[in-house]
Amino acid sequence: MTTYPSARPNSDNLPVDPSTGETRPPQAQPGYYPGFSTLSQEPFWDEATRAVVLRRVHEQPPIRFFTPDEVALMEALTARLLPQDDRDDEHRIPLVPTIDDRLFTGRIDGYRFEDMPPDGDAYRIGLRGIDAVAEHLYRRRFMDLGATEQDEVLWTLHRGEPPAGEDIWRQVPVSRFWLLINQDALESYYAHPYAWDEVGFGGPAYPRGYFRLEGGQPEPWEVREQRYNWAAPPDARSDRYEHLGGPSTHHVSAGQEGSH
Amino acid sequence: MKRPLLGPFTAPRTSAHLLGPIQKITTPMRRYGAGEEVDICIVGVGSAGGILLQRLARAGFRVVGFEAGPFWDTERDWVSDEAGSHRLYWNDLRITGGDNPIALGANNSGRGVGGGSVHWAGFTPRFHPSDFREYTEDGVGVDWPIDYQVIKPYYELLEREIPVAGPAYFPWGHPHGYSYGPHPLGGVADKLVRGCTELGIEVVAGGPVAIASGAYGDRQHCIYRGFCIQGCKVGAKQSTLVSHVPDAIDRGAEIRDCCMVTRIDVGKNGLASGVTYIDADGHEREQRSKVVIVAGYAIETPRLLLNSACQGHEQGLANSSGTVGRYLMVQGGNVILGRFDQPVRMYKAPPANALTEAFYETNPAHDFARGFAIQTVGPLPIAFAKQMMVAKGAWGWGMRRVMMDYNHWAAFGLLAEILPWEDNRVELAEEVDQFGSPVAKITFSLKENDQKLIEFAKQKTMEVMWAAGAKEVVQEPRYAHLIGGARMGHDPNSSVVDKFGRTHDIPNLFCCDGSILPTQGSANPGLTIQALAVRTAEHIIMNRDAVLAGRPGSMEEPAVRKDLSPPGTFTRGIPQFVK
Repeated sequence: MTTYPSARPNSDNLPVDPSTGETRPPQAQPGYYPGFSTLSQEPFWDEATRAVVLRRVHEQPPIRFFTPDEVALMEALTARLLPQDDRDDEHRIPLVPTIDDRLFTGRIDGYRFEDMPPDGDAYRIGLRGIDAVAEHLYRRRFMDLGATEQDEVLWTLHRGEPPAGEDIWRQVPVSRFWLLINQDALESYYAHPYAWDEVGFGGPAYPRGYFRLEGGQPEPWEVREQRYNWAAPPDARSDRYEHLGGPSTHHVSAGQEGSH
Repeated sequence: MKRPLLGPFTAPRTSAHLLGPIQKITTPMRRYGAGEEVDICIVGVGSAGGILLQRLARAGFRVVGFEAGPFWDTERDWVSDEAGSHRLYWNDLRITGGDNPIALGANNSGRGVGGGSVHWAGFTPRFHPSDFREYTEDGVGVDWPIDYQVIKPYYELLEREIPVAGPAYFPWGHPHGYSYGPHPLGGVADKLVRGCTELGIEVVAGGPVAIASGAYGDRQHCIYRGFCIQGCKVGAKQSTLVSHVPDAIDRGAEIRDCCMVTRIDVGKNGLASGVTYIDADGHEREQRSKVVIVAGYAIETPRLLLNSACQGHEQGLANSSGTVGRYLMVQGGNVILGRFDQPVRMYKAPPANALTEAFYETNPAHDFARGFAIQTVGPLPIAFAKQMMVAKGAWGWGMRRVMMDYNHWAAFGLLAEILPWEDNRVELAEEVDQFGSPVAKITFSLKENDQKLIEFAKQKTMEVMWAAGAKEVVQEPRYAHLIGGARMGHDPNSSVVDKFGRTHDIPNLFCCDGSILPTQGSANPGLTIQALAVRTAEHIIMNRDAVLAGRPGSMEEPAVRKDLSPPGTFTRGIPQFVK
């Protein structure tokens, strides 16, 4: 189904069980809702929604924007922005084709920051910046680094303090680029029914709706939460929460759905 | 698979145009011929445009509404899916800048018949009486050319036409009640009520919200699926698409969808003569009319006025004061997120479910003027993940971890008044859109009062979240809504339109939408935008001959006519608040 190279899970990158220190093997459905399947409810969705969601699951758009080199870098990059080493091969969510499709078709969210180039250019330029930081820190390209080193490279972007590529980050403010790539990865991952099952979100809900509104109770077709302890791979950098770096005015630059 | 309670669902097989599962448009749309002059062109069929079209058609005007986006068949076009709802928003390019650049698109800009009312959460509080007199009372902002008493009957009328569900007693501003019952509480509203109660803050729940709590004509009541801002396939949440457009079409209004107006044309007599637009096939066409009403909201209305510059109006139409595009506002809309030990499942129930306006008015003890509201919001997973990226600095494994706790989080949104500032504005950028028209460039920066107010509101809202029992509280700064850009006022030197929306410069050119509001309070603007649209329509109806002849009408307040409501929506029964 997918025709692009794919970063393989490596046992070093697996989450661990903190009580035993053992790695947790990849599974079909990580998360605290074993047995919950939004796709199993597909007969109860309306037709328009069913068509959109099933297409998302079963058809991947072709790669038309990124070059093969960029695809390889994007695969390595998205594998760190949203690691899926804990998912088995059949249940990993493709992220790069969706991002490629958005950039190829020029779909935007209705605005561009005045200090940013168009999204496609921002990607092309910013990806070079990631490689520049990787070369500076490790004398290798980003995609040739191990997960820990890759995390260290990205950490400098998160902090808004990349140690190399100054001319690149003048063209694409690093804080905006960091939010742009994360936001695109998130939009791809959390649009997928596998991710809904992982987080316990009910998915499409028309025309049936809900009736247990209070107290966080599951509907009859949902399941109760069954928590377990897990820790990120010991050397992973991204399991620590630290506020975004960069000038504070840049913090509002995440793409925003409506709220009120 | 768990055994479901309802059987598998198949969409109704029908060739009719469906708006929700049971509402249909069966009347063939009237079509005016090429070259035929009509009475009124309305640019934008959204919150205001949909109402104007309905009122004016019902009063016998020959009206055409132009809408850049599609005329939705909701059963076919809308989905119960977050990522699949991208088409509901105004996604064409705009440039955003300033010290505090604002997000556009999905955050505040609709496209397609119904406009922003398709994707609003539906909170419908009224403005407070003080909002109309800010300069007099607080020495900030500007006074409106009308006061609360003028708009009150339109609020009362629309609360029944929409209809608004809410509590029988609403204690803030001008105290009033709602004739349609409140909605049950979801998990987030429960947290807001708990937090407020713990701190002794008055709070209401179940509305006011533009969502039917009982079946309403051929619209179903709410099914609590939580996808309000993705477009309500149920037809329970009001958009003008389901509340007023069907009646407009019944009464002979024409809507030309997928038609982008690129210019308002001005004749040799100095009056507006119609509009130039690009039709669905990409052809440039003209429509002549006796009157033009621009209802494109706070970015596109100023942009169209500026893009229509011509001889005699070199700075753009209606812009002799230089005010077009200025005094643009958003509200401080920080989202405060709290994690609870027990699951909340905030995807259920309408996001607009409970609120407090206890901090709405100026408090002399504060070092800032004006105030804020606290409301429930209900981000779905993609929106929540983006909030966590900013609020917690989550990425990578940390993002996966916090998202696995999605069901443990609740979200409140604050709505903090930002004052009108001259240099927060819409201008034209150098870049052009697919039709060759310069796109809008938005410049936005907070001033001292705005910053102090938002900081206080943020702290107070976080306090409420803690008091509700949250074990962790984080927040994401953001903005909500758009207001201003073509403000109303008595003085032609400092405003674009008069109190009825007529431009000071061109007597047969009106603006009517969120752009004409001089200030915004800390209420969601949707109800007020629709109320002003009814009033502008009443003014035009009362002054029919003068307006169609291109002369200013009377400045007297028009009568509020209940016989122009869509059938069956006008009833008695507004609870009176007795103190």
